Amino acid sequence: MSTVLLQVSNLSKTYKDKNYWFNRKCVSALEPISFDIMPHKTLAIVGETGSGKSTIAKLLVGAELPTTGDIRLNGQTLAPGNFKQRCQHIRMIFQDSGTTLNPSLTIEQLLDEPLQLNTKLDEVERNQLIRETLQKVGLLADHMSFYPHMFSGGQKQRISLARAIILKPQVIILDEALAALDPSLRSQMINLLLDLQQQMGLAFILISHNLGIVRHFSDEMMVMCEGAVLEFGKTNDILKKPKHKYTKKLIMSQRFQLLNR
Amino acid sequence: MNLIDIRNLSIELKTASKPIFAVDRVNLTMKEGEVRGLVGESGSGKSLLAQAIVGVLDEKWRVDADRFHWRGNDLMRLSPAERKAIITKDVAMIFQEPMACLDPTTSIGEQLEEAVDAEQLTGFFWQKRQQRKQAAINLLHKVGIKQHEVCVKSFPHQLTDALCQRVMIAMALARRPMLLIADEPTAAMESTNQGQIFRLLASLNQLKNMSILLISHDLENVTHWTNTITVMYSGQFVEAGTTEQIFNQPYHPYTRALVDSSPRANRMIPNKSRLMTLPGSIPILQHLPIGCRLGPRCPRAQQKCVHAPKIKNFHSHQVSCHFPLKDSYS
Ligand SMILES: Nc1ncnc2c1ncn2[C@@H]1O[C@H](COP(=O)(O)OP(=O)(O)OP(=O)(O)O)[C@@H](O)[C@H]1O
Ligand SMILES: Nc1ncnc2c1ncn2[C@@H]1O[C@H](COP(=O)(O)OP(=O)(O)OP(=O)(O)O)[C@@H](O)[C@H]1O
Ligand code: SF4
Ligand SMILES: [Mg+2]
Ligand SMILES: [Mg+2]
Repeated sequence: MSTVLLQVSNLSKTYKDKNYWFNRKCVSALEPISFDIMPHKTLAIVGETGSGKSTIAKLLVGAELPTTGDIRLNGQTLAPGNFKQRCQHIRMIFQDSGTTLNPSLTIEQLLDEPLQLNTKLDEVERNQLIRETLQKVGLLADHMSFYPHMFSGGQKQRISLARAIILKPQVIILDEALAALDPSLRSQMINLLLDLQQQMGLAFILISHNLGIVRHFSDEMMVMCEGAVLEFGKTNDILKKPKHKYTKKLIMSQRFQLLNR
Repeated sequence: MNLIDIRNLSIELKTASKPIFAVDRVNLTMKEGEVRGLVGESGSGKSLLAQAIVGVLDEKWRVDADRFHWRGNDLMRLSPAERKAIITKDVAMIFQEPMACLDPTTSIGEQLEEAVDAEQLTGFFWQKRQQRKQAAINLLHKVGIKQHEVCVKSFPHQLTDALCQRVMIAMALARRPMLLIADEPTAAMESTNQGQIFRLLASLNQLKNMSILLISHDLENVTHWTNTITVMYSGQFVEAGTTEQIFNQPYHPYTRALVDSSPRANRMIPNKSRLMTLPGSIPILQHLPIGCRLGPRCPRAQQKCVHAPKIKNFHSHQVSCHFPLKDSYS
């Protein structure tokens, strides 16, 4: 029995609506939720627009402060202000990560940046680590001197993945990171992520609209609606026997498109 | 009679050195009332081909074709102005970014009224104004927007993506086209909204007998809605046939890989096992391989593939490959 990697308890978030000065209205983006993730496991989060999926991601990486609740990594509570500890262990890949790479830096400089900020490695060690990481994501050490515009969309995704794993994180959050990719690139990326999970024991949190990917990739899933968790359990169980009407509708709307042929 | 019949259409990027064929001898035929999917990876030239058909490419590009027939008329023999007149009357296109194509400073109502065809109006100018208003509202009803009062008054940025796309479709319908070209109409939409737009297009096809060319990078996404599919890769024609032929018995190694890599095809394989996929990625225009452009990524490639393959026809299932997978199904 392995130990829990990430333990989230009672996490919630309310936004104050700035448009109302008097009688400030509060928007509850996330009702209190709790879940655990083991190493080597993937948790998928599905739900329609505005259901609070990205809010969970932002709270976990520390881009927003939670209203209540706490997050423990390996049993240690993550302090709200301690950004450095967090961004070493929990990393996030966005949907358009390819375009968020700084175009004026070479790949080596791009990958060196987080190392300089977060580790005490010297130049030779850093260089070595960059080489190893590029190899892991299926790129060559020769690519170090290239600029982002010299890569195709899929290769850019690999670079942002390299950037995400170079600090040896334990959790990676994929917020719609696969949605915009072409099917063949998407499959390549999924294979790569699965390989990395096997090798490094990474846990993934996968936020996705595509139930096909969720089914293939995740161990557990969470269905969200208006900030609350409707269902939470093994992916296979939920997809086979959805309990909630909303989940059924979600599955039907995709099955209708996918399976009727 | 074929609605549109295009043979060997090429689109060339004019450069100082050697010309680059961004689209290289592609065929496309459509019958009246048909819904055809045009599928290929990002960068395979789908939008270019569509823009070439409606004639909106700028002078950077040169379009050439062996045959370009529209309802039996040979458009190649007409002057550009005559061609344009025919095409703008009968063909409408929804472009890839709906938000970018609507004027952000004008209300939806005004933009729709402007799009209404003057030929549909009768009477004096004050009557025409009223008719225009009514026509705009009718168009909104046609695309399933019931609260037309709110919609007419709002500006593009106030609408959601799905609503914007409906408005775009409404504007495309204003001229009562025979062919609607929809370039990635549901990109960046979640599946419930995607379903709405596809259902709307399907109903327009059924009720108005309007033909639709549905462009998408995701084969799986469109198969439910199309009668026939044309696949492109890196500017070259890959395969065309009925949706069943393409999805159940693809003859081309590229189509095979597309079908195999979709999560649906992987429903049967165990959770977390590796998916089937081709290595590498689509070449950039400046470094196109010679011959069959899939060559460097193709599992069946042989020496012969440095020459571009000719199109083979098996019972109206067309494939462009030296070594099609025809015999692997029996
Ligand atoms: N900075 C903010 N201020 C106020 N409200 C916010 C803020 N960020 C998000 N919200 C609200 O919180 C709710 C949840 O948003 P969230 O971004 O988590 O949705 P989501 O599930 O990620 O949706 P999508 O599928 O569109 O990405 C939404 O109703 C949103 O309007
Ligand atoms: N204005 C332009 N100048 C130079 N090259 C261009 C231009 N527009 C498109 N291209 C190139 O032409 C090729 C085909 O582009 P096109 O936009 O038709 O692709 P697409 O199949 O529509 O892709 P997507 O799914 O991303 O829309 C690409 O390699 C692209 O880089
Ligand atoms: S022609 Fe050759 S390289 Fe091209 S798809 Fe066929 S086998 Fe592959
Ligand atoms: Mg989100
Ligand atoms: Mg396009």
